[in-house]
Amino acid sequence: MNSKTMSKDLFGDKRMGFFIYLFVEAVMFATLFATYLIYTPAPQGPHPSEVFEVKTVVLASIFLLLSSGTLMIAEKGLDRRNIKMILTGLLITFTFGAIFMYFEVHEFYTFVTEGHTISTNNFLSSFYVLVGLHASHVLFGLFWMIVLLIQRKLLPYNLFKEKHKIFNYYWHFVDIIWVGILIIVYIPYLI
Amino acid sequence: MKKLAMMAVLLVLSGCNLRVLDPKSQTASDQAFLIYLSFGIMMFVVLVVTVLFIGFTWKYRETEKNRYDTPKHEEGNRTLEIIWTVLPIILLIGLAIPTVMITYDVSDIGATSDETLHVNVTGEQFRWTFEYENGKQTHKNLVLPVDQEVVLHLTSNDVIHSFWVPKLGGKIDVLPGEENQMKITPNEEGTYQGKCAEYCGTLHTDMRFDTEVVDQEEFQQWLEE
Amino acid sequence: MQFYLFGDLIVLPTDVIAAWVSVIIGAPLVLYWFTKKRYWPVVWDFATSTNHRKIGMLYIIFALLFFFRAGIDALFIRMQLVTAENEFWVFQGDKYNEIFTTHGTMMIFFVAMPLLIGLMNVAVPLQIGANDLAFPFLNAIGFYLFLTGGMIFFAAFFFNAAPNAGWTAYAPLSTYEFTSGPNNNYYIFGLQVSGLGTIFAAINMIVTILRLRAPGLKLTRMPLFPWASLITSFLILVAFPVLAIALLLLQFDRFYGATFFIGEMGHPVYWQHLFWIFGHPEVYILALPAFGIFSDIISNFSRKNVFGYTSMVIALALIGLLGFMVWAHHMFTVGLGPFANTFFAITTMMIAVPTGIKVFNWLFTMRRGVIRLQTPMLFALGFIPTFVMGGVTGVMLASAAADMQYHDTYFVVAHFHYVIIGSTVLGAFAGLYYWYPKMTGKVLDDKLGKWHFWLFLIGFHLTFFPQHLAGLNGMPRRVYDYTWEDGVFVYNFISTIGAFLMGASMLFVLWNIYKTHRTKEENVGPDPWDGRTLEWSVPSPVPEHPFEKMPVIDRRDALWWAKQEGRSLPVADHPRASPIAVRTVQPLVLSAALTILSFGFIYGWVWMQILGGAASLGFFLLRAFNDERTEAYRKEEQDDE
Ligand code: HEM
Ligand SMILES: [Cu+2]
Ligand SMILES: [Cu+2]
Repeated sequence: MNSKTMSKDLFGDKRMGFFIYLFVEAVMFATLFATYLIYTPAPQGPHPSEVFEVKTVVLASIFLLLSSGTLMIAEKGLDRRNIKMILTGLLITFTFGAIFMYFEVHEFYTFVTEGHTISTNNFLSSFYVLVGLHASHVLFGLFWMIVLLIQRKLLPYNLFKEKHKIFNYYWHFVDIIWVGILIIVYIPYLI
Repeated sequence: MKKLAMMAVLLVLSGCNLRVLDPKSQTASDQAFLIYLSFGIMMFVVLVVTVLFIGFTWKYRETEKNRYDTPKHEEGNRTLEIIWTVLPIILLIGLAIPTVMITYDVSDIGATSDETLHVNVTGEQFRWTFEYENGKQTHKNLVLPVDQEVVLHLTSNDVIHSFWVPKLGGKIDVLPGEENQMKITPNEEGTYQGKCAEYCGTLHTDMRFDTEVVDQEEFQQWLEE
Repeated sequence: MQFYLFGDLIVLPTDVIAAWVSVIIGAPLVLYWFTKKRYWPVVWDFATSTNHRKIGMLYIIFALLFFFRAGIDALFIRMQLVTAENEFWVFQGDKYNEIFTTHGTMMIFFVAMPLLIGLMNVAVPLQIGANDLAFPFLNAIGFYLFLTGGMIFFAAFFFNAAPNAGWTAYAPLSTYEFTSGPNNNYYIFGLQVSGLGTIFAAINMIVTILRLRAPGLKLTRMPLFPWASLITSFLILVAFPVLAIALLLLQFDRFYGATFFIGEMGHPVYWQHLFWIFGHPEVYILALPAFGIFSDIISNFSRKNVFGYTSMVIALALIGLLGFMVWAHHMFTVGLGPFANTFFAITTMMIAVPTGIKVFNWLFTMRRGVIRLQTPMLFALGFIPTFVMGGVTGVMLASAAADMQYHDTYFVVAHFHYVIIGSTVLGAFAGLYYWYPKMTGKVLDDKLGKWHFWLFLIGFHLTFFPQHLAGLNGMPRRVYDYTWEDGVFVYNFISTIGAFLMGASMLFVLWNIYKTHRTKEENVGPDPWDGRTLEWSVPSPVPEHPFEKMPVIDRRDALWWAKQEGRSLPVADHPRASPIAVRTVQPLVLSAALTILSFGFIYGWVWMQILGGAASLGFFLLRAFNDERTEAYRKEEQDDE
């Protein structure tokens, strides 16, 4: 077997597989978007515009969208085999992701204390399921970044690079979903 | 196989008085017509396939003679393929047109006159309630006058049920929080079985009722009782 | 039986007791037998392998076990319905509801799907000249997810909590308000876990087929079973995520007070949309692979190439595409209005066209061939008329106004058994007999195979043909009783006889397997059927990585032509890298973690949910630092320097 091309072949397989997996996730989110559109605004209970808070949404979005940019630093570093860049990129991304999570938790917490819980009405139910699923993806991404930091020390560089790239796709995907959430969930009721 | 075919024929023959094919209203007749039509068209398809199937299997089965033959390579056949694409399309159009027409017909639920009788039908686990315009309520039997248009207003108090009197027409689901309507005009007196046709829980099986179609006078009398 | 345990009154019906007793007696016997025969190393070998043949066999073995379980359920159903006003054992009311729900759900998700995925596992890589599936580890994960989901679902019955809202779990009946026990939680988690496994299997298939084909084996030269597997996998990618979300929403309704499908704000019909957007493609997910199997078998046993190859592929794709545009034909009686109803009626009728094309192509593949009537071919031949009968009732059902009469009656029960058993089950049997040598090195006995076939086919038609008439005579489905006045006794009686014939036929499968493996005959050669496709060029049973010398393909049925010309296939110089195999217990860890997690949710024990969640995360960590590619990559890097 030609070992020179092995990592290339196997990475190609994996990338295709992961893209397909992201497609599966996209279908799941699409179903939730549809659910949200069907149930919002609900015939009774609070209207989205009474519930949403511009400031939190804007801040959360800024940090999450920026984190996709800062991840590019790590990507550049990966190709150049520059460990410093990789670490810098990852750490900044992690921090921004964590800040996003802070705003998410803050938002959910505020809603609940204001009495807007998951069983208040169907708009809120679909909101919590959709945005909650997205938030859990971000949380999983944070966990994954910690794992990556450790993997860098343990794995051969090519394998680490492969795993890092896969993570990058994931993170960008989660960002794109957030854009979808902004457009469908928040913006129509904030303007 | 022979026995099997015999039995199938017998079973089909006994079908003459199957409830669905023994309509007692215009709606049910239309639906029975569609059933016969689609059955006829489809029997034609079954016939063609069966003839080819038996013919080919028999003719080209392995025998001592051809055991070591190598059949000729054959990519396909344009003409044949066009035939068995176009012909089914034509047959299906033949079925689709009456389907569309009758589907629109049976979905027409507006009352045509003031004479029309309105009955509220409520499904709940596990009984029906039929409520007439004068407030009279029954559970086990739905009494209807013959040759008069009836509009049923169907809703459920809990889960989904489905209202079905095979001889009077197809079923319509009975949903919670939403009203479905159904218009029928029974054209023959008699007692017809009614059943719940959407699985609704423990005693779904027992959600039956009788539909008694009686003449006008008898109906008025019954209503005043 | 009733007794007190920790102060709670426990009521155990006799069927549950019978189940426990048989397990308590049966399990030690099996353990003893395995020990005596020294099977444990083999079991361990299979359980920790990532090889496609072994995982495929595991899929099939467990699918067959579940088949017997769900088949026994079917026999109980038939016993209860054997005559009017009957009371068989406990199967009335809720028990009956549990048993048809279990039967249907198991047959679809834990019998039909894994049988097909198992056959894909065994055959697809070999047919395209790949050494394994693209992701062997993921393949093992997929299998264990299926097994875990199946076992969770299976277990429900032992805790007297089998799901009872039908395999369609229509809301609001399936919400907490109307079925508050743990029963339908089993449904949610059984399907959720195994559904994820199915998605992984589909991803694996697609990447394998798109990237791992032997040099020269263009897509247009591929046999039809891989084609069908490819298209099926795409259907899975769209259908199963929708099911996952539907189940998630149902879970929120049941556990967390959401009201998606119930109450003043909820839409019960939305559940039906979601379910059938998944559910209709699902039936094509079951049918298409079987079509692929039949195409290969009919061509092989007629000693002729597939007639109209291109239109066969196009028809597969068209069926797949149209399959997403017809879901509301299950909802003609909901009151969607005549426009929606006629729209879906017409799209449904359109599917008949590509299906018809396939049927005629099969028939013309046989024309001018030499038809060998061995067991796999018999099943293929039985399939054609059976499936056509199911297909034509399908067209009849598509006629929306007429469907208002058929809907939710035994007519529908007859229809879908004709199509599912006609295609999937006959297809799986055909594939099993056909590829059995590739799995085990032995050919199953032809005579017993024929017994199996004839009994099964006759039993099948006896069971399901009369049900059409029962339906037309007004018998709704999912009822545990009927009266003498209903006039459906004869149909039901014949149906029950047929069901027992089918049950008896399955005993021949067991006998056949036993007989085949008892004799210590030599393994058969690579090519017991005089095959046309690549799997018949490698030894039986297939060793791991059989294509180290990767063949170069220059046309369809290349092996056949090579054999005709008395040469062997040329070998490629620089084949692409093969997937890396590994021995691993990690999937077992995931399986345990998800079992804990699921039971935590099913019974609402939060501590257990947390434990299971943590364990699942632990699995990710375990995997993150134990990647079988580490060594290979390290070596590659050293070579580079
Ligand atoms: C082996 C012989 C089989 C027999 C005798 C049998 C019998 C039955 C009967 C009598 C019902 C109707 C239950 C009712 O409506 O009350 C039923 C339902 C069903 N069967 Fe089968 N069946 C068999 C095999 C299969 C297979 C192989 C599959 C699929 C792979 C299957 C899938 C289903 C499904 C999906 C339902 C609907 C369950 C529901 O209503 O929720 N069956 N079966
Ligand atoms: Cu019911
Ligand atoms: Cu369908």
